Amino acid sequence: MRIAPDYSKEFEKLAEAYEKSGGDTSNLLDKRVASIIISGDKVIGLNNVDGVEIEAGKQELGVWAKIRISKGKKIPMPIHLCTGFLGKEGEQRVNFEFIVEDGATVNFISHCSFPWSTKLTHKMTAIVRIGKNATMTYADAHFHSEEGGVTVISDTHAIVEENGKYKNSFELTRTRVGKLVVKMDVDLKDGAIADLESKVRGRADDDISIKESLGLNGKEAHGIAKSTIVATEKTHARIVNEAFGNAPYSKGHIECTEITKGADVDVATLPVLKVTNDLSELTHEASIGRINSKQLDTMMAKSMTEEEATEFIIKGMLS
Amino acid sequence: MLELRNISLELGGKPILKKLNMKFEVGKRYTILGNNGTGKSTVANVIMGVEGYKPQSGKIYLDGQDITNLSISQRAQLGITIAFQENVRFEGIKIYDYLTLGGKIKKSLDDVKKALKIVGLGEDYVKRHVDSSLSGGERKRVELASVYMIDPKYVILDEPDSGIDMMSIDTINMFINQLREKNTTVITITHREEIALDCDYSYLICSGIVLKAGKPAEISEYYKSMCDACEHPNEIQLIRDEVI
Ligand SMILES: Nc1ncnc2c1ncn2[C@@H]1O[C@H](COP(=O)(O)OP(=O)(O)OP(=O)(O)O)[C@@H](O)[C@H]1O
Ligand SMILES: [Mg+2]
Repeated sequence: MRIAPDYSKEFEKLAEAYEKSGGDTSNLLDKRVASIIISGDKVIGLNNVDGVEIEAGKQELGVWAKIRISKGKKIPMPIHLCTGFLGKEGEQRVNFEFIVEDGATVNFISHCSFPWSTKLTHKMTAIVRIGKNATMTYADAHFHSEEGGVTVISDTHAIVEENGKYKNSFELTRTRVGKLVVKMDVDLKDGAIADLESKVRGRADDDISIKESLGLNGKEAHGIAKSTIVATEKTHARIVNEAFGNAPYSKGHIECTEITKGADVDVATLPVLKVTNDLSELTHEASIGRINSKQLDTMMAKSMTEEEATEFIIKGMLS
Repeated sequence: MLELRNISLELGGKPILKKLNMKFEVGKRYTILGNNGTGKSTVANVIMGVEGYKPQSGKIYLDGQDITNLSISQRAQLGITIAFQENVRFEGIKIYDYLTLGGKIKKSLDDVKKALKIVGLGEDYVKRHVDSSLSGGERKRVELASVYMIDPKYVILDEPDSGIDMMSIDTINMFINQLREKNTTVITITHREEIALDCDYSYLICSGIVLKAGKPAEISEYYKSMCDACEHPNEIQLIRDEVI
């Protein structure tokens, strides 16, 4: 990809943010890799490859992008999305639309990096349309500033057609969260599969709110929604996982693990299961509270201190 | 030397260990035999310093130092470790990281492979996770390998044979011998006398007391003839209390 000359300084700074969030800048510059680079309200880089059509433009306080994967195409290298905000304060609105046509296969790697923002609201909406027999995976990693002044409001609506597959993972574990509001709902048609996973680690007075909803609307649709939250210090977390069994032989499982450490944490989880078709099957699993003491004992008996053992166990859970 | 002196412990208002005395010398191999529920794992937890198992009276000494009030980590740092009877699973931790404690112990990949080999696991296990994808027997073996990796001075193996098939009793005995080559004192808890035979000294525990101690063959023989048939271990205690 070529970066327009007037954006080269901005790209340098963004690349620094991108690397901080775990991204590899060489991917963004690799011509074989489809990608889009968004900084604030500008698209500073965009690269298409065979089978991938990304259109994007400016909108009020942000950027819109429409990403289409052509019918039957299997995209060999993951598409990279880099979203950054370099300023200290402001608002960024990003609206994505993903269309994965019938039979296509694509993987996305997304990094959202706001390492220097002390007061930023990042609003993201995404519409995901996955065609028949198509597969899309989307791995999203966030990197926020250590001041805790970042607010992320993310809203995703996905429709997965017959025998389509959708895997989404969200990770915000390496920095302060700030305030996070994630909403995701998935509409699964006949034989469609969804696998949603989120991992978040809260510190100081971080505020985490996640609502994931599986609509098992087609025959033999399968879905899993799993959240792992580590809440320390004064973290406030509210997790709602829902599954609706509306079709025969559909299966859904929701799971929430919330680890607490610190006298002032305030965490809650609410599983919601609703069946409107008697041949559907839904399960849920939830655990909330301190780290399993047997796990701690096991690691401490190998000479780790309680802090080391805690960190070791949490790192595993969030990996 | 590791020594338990007059250890008494109540759990949930019930006396579990009653003035128990035991000694473990450096580099020797011990067995603690006893029926289900007689207090074997409780002894292990007391030695390791697990929360909730602090004796109401009595003391634990390591080379003359009173360690009764030390935490698990502190005791482990002095060289005591345990492979618990029940092995917990961990999400997202690779066997390699588990065995090297996330890089805390400086050992090579070859050391990890060697430890796995000793417990009968192939090299391909290095990348597997210590989670529910392992069978009970595999998990147990990983725990033994982990004990081997940390070069302890004293190790308690609480029922190393549980969850591992009969064929592997030899593996366990071989494993214990490998530990002894490092001059590790091995304390094996079991209710199988065939494991108990291959050691230097045996303790037989019955309802929280050391009922008998001495040569492995004698203790195993006694255990086989008396304890196998005994369905009321507490009665022995009652009789003993009447006599003494
Ligand atoms: N935390 C506890 N609270 C109350 N009672 C306990 C506790 N831990 C153990 N016990 C009781 O203490 C007794 C001894 O238990 P322990 O686990 O030491 O037996 P064991 O000899 O290891 O048996 P097994 O061969 O079945 O492993 C049992 O009656 C058990 O129910
Ligand atoms: Mg036991």
